[in-house]
Amino acid sequence: MSTTTPLPQKPGLPLEVRALTKRFGGVRAVDDLSFTVPPGRVTGFLGPNGAGKTTTLRCLLGLVRPTSGEVLVGGRAYRDLDQPLRQVGAALEAASFHPGRSARDHLKFLAQAADIPVARVDEVLATVGLAEFSGRRVGNFSLGMRQRLGLAQALVGDPSVLILDEPANGLDPAGIAWLRGLLRALAAEGRTVLVSSHVLSEVQQTVDDVVVIADGRLVTQGPLVELERSQASVLVRTPERDRLAGSLREVRPQSTVSEDGADALHVSGWSTAEIGRLAHDQRLELHELANEPGDLERLFLELTQGVSR
Amino acid sequence: MRLGLVRSELTKILSTRLWWGLLIGVVLYTVIQSAASAAFAGLDPGAGQPTTPGLESPETLRGIYAAAAFSGAYIFALVIGVTGMTGEYRYETATPTFLATPRRVRVVVSKAIAHLVVGIGYGVVAVLSAFLAGGLVVLIRGNDLGLGSPGLWRAVALAVLAVGLWTLVGIGIGTLIRNQVAALLVAVAVTFLVEPLVSVGLYAADLEEVGKFLPSTASSAVTSPPAVFGELLPWWAGALVLGGYAVLFAAMGVWLSVRRDVT
Ligand SMILES: Nc1ncnc2c1ncn2[C@@H]1O[C@H](COP(=O)(O)OP(=O)(O)OP(=O)(O)O)[C@@H](O)[C@H]1O
Ligand SMILES: [Mg+2]
Repeated sequence: MSTTTPLPQKPGLPLEVRALTKRFGGVRAVDDLSFTVPPGRVTGFLGPNGAGKTTTLRCLLGLVRPTSGEVLVGGRAYRDLDQPLRQVGAALEAASFHPGRSARDHLKFLAQAADIPVARVDEVLATVGLAEFSGRRVGNFSLGMRQRLGLAQALVGDPSVLILDEPANGLDPAGIAWLRGLLRALAAEGRTVLVSSHVLSEVQQTVDDVVVIADGRLVTQGPLVELERSQASVLVRTPERDRLAGSLREVRPQSTVSEDGADALHVSGWSTAEIGRLAHDQRLELHELANEPGDLERLFLELTQGVSR
Repeated sequence: MRLGLVRSELTKILSTRLWWGLLIGVVLYTVIQSAASAAFAGLDPGAGQPTTPGLESPETLRGIYAAAAFSGAYIFALVIGVTGMTGEYRYETATPTFLATPRRVRVVVSKAIAHLVVGIGYGVVAVLSAFLAGGLVVLIRGNDLGLGSPGLWRAVALAVLAVGLWTLVGIGIGTLIRNQVAALLVAVAVTFLVEPLVSVGLYAADLEEVGKFLPSTASSAVTSPPAVFGELLPWWAGALVLGGYAVLFAAMGVWLSVRRDVT
């Protein structure tokens, strides 16, 4: 990172999920899932509806008992943490509030339970932009305001680890941009940030790493840039499209070549230079030759489609 | 047990409007019962029924000031206990609660203590209401208030404690039946309908020895009120039996909460 001013460091804790399986009656919500989440980065936890994201997070947080396997925060089970809210802040579904209780009172009972000074409550309400609504009953809150309150709840202990389940739901574009900045800043301070989503594009600009699951199982895991690189392709326009496509396929049968319109090809497994050389050797006329960013959303669909319910 | 956790549970109870709605119920219901028992004590009910003891009798005075307070308040104590627990599931506040305190035993024990405190508060308010309303009727009928009457203060103190203990019964029922509406219906129906019916049935079947140990019946024995029908347990035995129920229900609350998945 190229930051010039030293950031106050808040050392994060790694999250580890080891061979986690959770069965609800006959449903295997999570199936032998293993992955780790390193500190200092934003990790996207992705998967289609019903993939098992929320269940995995609830296991991590000691709310759901795994059928088998282990889930560790900094090497310890959540229930063995000394000061859970100061170590891990989490926001799960948007609806975990009593509608008749004010936002301030909701955070107040949490602060009291966790030995956090009650003064921190107003501070964190201001951080999420709810200062003027702090005395209002949550039953009157909009979805976005509830999301913000959930975030305030996660931040109240100034935790080393932040776990957010679909935090962007119901946020307006300004709210999403603000959330993105906040998560980046927290990770830059060295904290661990894990954000779930069922839409890749929603977190694409925020996350460093991704963990993709479907049907309770791991599909892929790694830095987003690598995933993007694996998906990058080359756009070629040529009047002799079919000849070029044939040659590309013949030389490298494992590469993927797809036709687009009358004169275009999307090619992966070849660099622009390699295609240019081939075209030159075969005396093919080229009108365009350019790198294309990977279509991650399509990849995400492909990765998760085969196995989704 | 950490004080902060009990304070957290008290904040939960006091930060929604239910507690004072129930408190109004406590006052109204106690005032009616206490005033009525003071108004009718010692009068000939007619229809050949035996006359109840008059306003000078210690048991009548215990009935007006203590038994009326208990029976005017305990149902509300039960309700606040049931909603205190089922609300955690209904509104999913169990999630943030257990995130802050993953050792769930501590949460349920703190919740029990906080509810006991609020229940005792209800008991105190009920006793004050009974002294005001019942006392007023006693004075109007030209009698002495009878505050020095034998066994009165013990009965009053035990009535307050008994009201407090009924919150724990509510917490237990609330963990057993997580659906708030169902739990409230069952709790109120069992204490108001099923128990009296069972009690009458047992009495009719000459099994009143068993009927004495039913929760409401045993609880009302702590104030040694005038017997309505059948014998009650001695006050100390009533207190022990109620204490037993409270511990049993609270323990069930702990046991079930610790095991459950929170989804
Ligand atoms: N308490 C429960 N009882 C029974 N089945 C459950 C329970 N909770 C979750 N499931 C099942 O487990 C599977 C995974 O659900 P989960 O909520 O973890 O998915 P998710 O990835 O969070 O989905 P979404 O994107 O819709 O939030 C689903 O099939 C769901 O029906
Ligand atoms: Mg989910």
